[in-house]
Amino acid sequence: MIRTNRRKLALTSAVLAVVAMTASSLPAQAASDPGVTSTSIKLGITVPMTGIAAPGYNKIPGAMKAYFDYVNANGGVNGRKITLVIKDDQYIPTTAVAKANELILKDKVFALVGTLGTASTKAISASTQLAKRGIPSLFVNTGFSGFADKKAYPTTFSILPSYQMEAKIMGKFLKDKYDGKKLALIYQDDDFGRDALAGFKQAGVSFTTAIPYASGSQSLPATGAGWISKLKAAGTEVTVLFGVSSASTAALANAYAAGYKTQWVLGSVGGDATTIAASNKAYVPLLFGAKGFSFAPAPSDSADEYVKLFQSIYASAQPTQTFDNNVVAGMSNAFLAVQAIKAAGSNLTRAGLIKTIETKGASLANPFLTPLGYSATSHIGATGYWIGTYDQTGALKPDGGKYTVYTTDSGNGPVVESSYKRPAMPAKGLPN
Amino acid sequence: MTQFIDMLLIGIGAGSIYALMAIAMVLVWRSTRVINFAQAGMALLSTYIGFELVQRTGNFWIALPLAMILGALFSALVEILLIRTLIKHSTTGPVAGIVPIIATLGLLGFIRATIGFIWGNQDIQIQPPLSKVGFKIGEDTIALSPMNLLVLLTVIGMVLILGFIFQKTSLGLSLRASAYSPEIAQLAGIRVGAIRTIGWAIAGAAGAAAGLLQTVNGTGAVSPDSLEFSLLLTFGFIAAVIGGLESLPGAVLGAVVLGLVLAVVQIYVSGTLVFIVAFALLLLVLLIRPQGFIGAKAGRRA
Amino acid sequence: MLKKHPLFGFILFGVILFLLSNRVDELRVFQGATVAIYVIAIASIILLTGYSGQVSLGHGALLAIGGYAAALSRNYWGAPVWLTFCIAVLAAALGGYLLGLAAARLSGPYLAGTTLALAIGLPSIANQFSILGGEQGLLYDIGLPPTSLGADFTQYKWYFWISALAALVTIYWLRNVMNSRYGRSWKAVRSNDVAAELAGINVGRNKVLAFTVSAGVAGLAGALLAMTISTVSPGAFPLALSFSLATGAVLSGVTTLGGVMIGAVTLVAIPEIVDTVVHRFESSEAVANNLPGLLVSTLLILTVLFVPNGPVEQMRARHEKRAKR
Repeated sequence: MIRTNRRKLALTSAVLAVVAMTASSLPAQAASDPGVTSTSIKLGITVPMTGIAAPGYNKIPGAMKAYFDYVNANGGVNGRKITLVIKDDQYIPTTAVAKANELILKDKVFALVGTLGTASTKAISASTQLAKRGIPSLFVNTGFSGFADKKAYPTTFSILPSYQMEAKIMGKFLKDKYDGKKLALIYQDDDFGRDALAGFKQAGVSFTTAIPYASGSQSLPATGAGWISKLKAAGTEVTVLFGVSSASTAALANAYAAGYKTQWVLGSVGGDATTIAASNKAYVPLLFGAKGFSFAPAPSDSADEYVKLFQSIYASAQPTQTFDNNVVAGMSNAFLAVQAIKAAGSNLTRAGLIKTIETKGASLANPFLTPLGYSATSHIGATGYWIGTYDQTGALKPDGGKYTVYTTDSGNGPVVESSYKRPAMPAKGLPN
Repeated sequence: MTQFIDMLLIGIGAGSIYALMAIAMVLVWRSTRVINFAQAGMALLSTYIGFELVQRTGNFWIALPLAMILGALFSALVEILLIRTLIKHSTTGPVAGIVPIIATLGLLGFIRATIGFIWGNQDIQIQPPLSKVGFKIGEDTIALSPMNLLVLLTVIGMVLILGFIFQKTSLGLSLRASAYSPEIAQLAGIRVGAIRTIGWAIAGAAGAAAGLLQTVNGTGAVSPDSLEFSLLLTFGFIAAVIGGLESLPGAVLGAVVLGLVLAVVQIYVSGTLVFIVAFALLLLVLLIRPQGFIGAKAGRRA
Repeated sequence: MLKKHPLFGFILFGVILFLLSNRVDELRVFQGATVAIYVIAIASIILLTGYSGQVSLGHGALLAIGGYAAALSRNYWGAPVWLTFCIAVLAAALGGYLLGLAAARLSGPYLAGTTLALAIGLPSIANQFSILGGEQGLLYDIGLPPTSLGADFTQYKWYFWISALAALVTIYWLRNVMNSRYGRSWKAVRSNDVAAELAGINVGRNKVLAFTVSAGVAGLAGALLAMTISTVSPGAFPLALSFSLATGAVLSGVTTLGGVMIGAVTLVAIPEIVDTVVHRFESSEAVANNLPGLLVSTLLILTVLFVPNGPVEQMRARHEKRAKR
């Protein structure tokens, strides 16, 4: 009797699962690409909205949506209004894949945009078979160099320069400016940091002290103090931080506590002053005099036409949030996406969009200060950085008062000063 | 030589942070025999309450004890609503081991989501009440700051006060008895339910102190998903095990040992090995002397 | 007839599933694969905790061992897929054996805490050895479905078939194991280890065996999980996974295999249902981000409070009470 009841329940639950699966059978798909009608386009993004990686990054979707809404209010793109479906993946690859599947199979988005995190993007790409389905994955927020490989990722377009490229440019800067000084490096002990090591090696930089840290350990009480103790003992004069923001904060705060003075050089990932400020306002002055790298216009640069536009759009869309690097990054992504969609024409297809970015992507108007590398053979986005110094308020100001951009390639090519002039912003910041 | 002294101070400083958490965990264990993930959640909530209090009163020294009191109250509330229902509805056996853990995990998720809803998912910041800049001995700044001293003194104070309560008062006796053997304690006339609530309240206060102090001693920032809190939970546990889960001074000793070992690894070996070493240390203690350095042998089995 | 020939029941169920997978849309098929994987993983916890009485909060680490073993053997030795699964099981079982040796002397909070520490320490172990690919992880590609199944046969359907078959085989096998003398001796040790020792059962060896078998099963789940996301990385096996599995085991009823589908389906269904509910209401970011977590936790707490032994045991207890009247 007992066994029958148990079996009954097991059977019932199994049947329920089966019924649930059946209940969502859908009719055959329409012939045109999903996610696009004559009046609308649906885009999707998976990003950590909650979870350890969330602070800072979870502002990106809101920023993107603010720009899309602005475009929609001004007639949309070729008469189509853009909706952005936002899914929280908590920076976990399995969740990212599940959410991406929902976006692709349930929400039926036209394209993915701005996916964040190397492991998550790799997993999504491989598992949902973006390549086979021909789904564009636009402007992924990760510096993994592999995404530039068009053969492996034919529908993916990166936007950030790879970490290796960044390290190469940083390396040239270090050799030019701090030749003969004792250099130290604090880096995250995983592919992110090791990519950087490769770049530094290519640039021919050697560090007196190299301190790797296990990802996550920067949040433990003694870690930062340990770094500073080592640096003090080695007597280093210039310290490069190639880690995440929490690591930069730990280094800066502990240096301050130990009375240790050095010239800080911050990588782009961990140099986000506003993320550091979000962690503690008292640390922002610690950034004063530190060097930083970026390829977008500085958020504090109100003279820049794009920044001015973005500031006003964001202020009315999200009045309670601060305008920072993440917002600029998000809105720039959205801007570029809209330009690409406009250029792809009224007959919008996935294949067409990909082709458009490959042929015209490098010449589309966009807020970035470096040339974009999109072509038939390359899916690399930004190719360089400008160097600046942080002021007392934590704002990064370009050295020499103007943006001098250095570019390089993802191979063994040299770092060169770029003569790129950013095209003027289209009227009112709307697609042209 | 300076690096050696630095290492000692850094290790002890870190150890005192672990000790705060370890004390809270030993407290919960000794008075309730439950591993309580919600402890971390309640410490988190108390930290946020402390943040609000600092914002409103502008004074950390008022906010800290108030947050501890509120933490105690909230913890007692959780005991009454959640734990008593749990005990009423569950049976003995393997379920008794895992169900409270899952329930407190659920509570942790609930608290995190609520905090995110009320305060948002970005970091909030609490400014430290004392300077974090190290004391100066002549020309050198050593790795000990007024803030470090505060944490050390709090740890010592907690151990003394709580030790006194547990060993020398009848409340403490009731707490220990109720945890060890609820049926016999009830027969002896102890109101086990009320005593358990008090035990949780004390643990809640300790957790609040741990959360607040650890935050201001660190970067001063906290978010609902702060990695710091998750790490503290684990390392606090490792510290408690090393010292012996039954003993408060043991928890502190274990924490200091852990802090020193990790500082040595950090400075003289390689920072990438911290987690592996911590885990190896835990395994080593469990295999060689599972009752911890101070714990009594009888206390090992649940 | 079903009672006498449970194997027939399993086969029948399997056929039904396979037929259905052709009629259902891809998202459901993918979710079906995920459910099957959770069934296997939760079953491993039921074995360890429900039958052998040992609490593990770090089962995610054992899944990770299986996943990495499968990926490595495929990438470096070019092993065929079925062999990678076997290697995953063996590797994880070995890990479980070692963990079991340490765990046999521990109980309660010590065991829970140790497994927790392992789950937290795993990512940094992955980063230590570059062969494990660090934070980005390794690719794990099981290839396309065989052409004999037709050009229409999608990748996700293939994943589903493999996972469902693995789940059916695993549950059937586990059921037999738990009804065998091993299962009975585990239950004996769980109830009263002193008495069991007196009855001649070697308690230590018994516990280690439970850990080993449980770990092997978990390893299979890990390899299948890696298959569905085509990669294996430390981030894919976070602490949250270990907690989810423990939760799923409690929701299913940790002492019996009968309800294992309930936990698995719940783990997959709840986030999606909650997501749909949240997206129905155009709400503020604070709500959209946190409501899912809130709803899931509330459901968990309510279930654990009021159905702590799992629905299967609950029904049985009620049935027994009724029979006694």
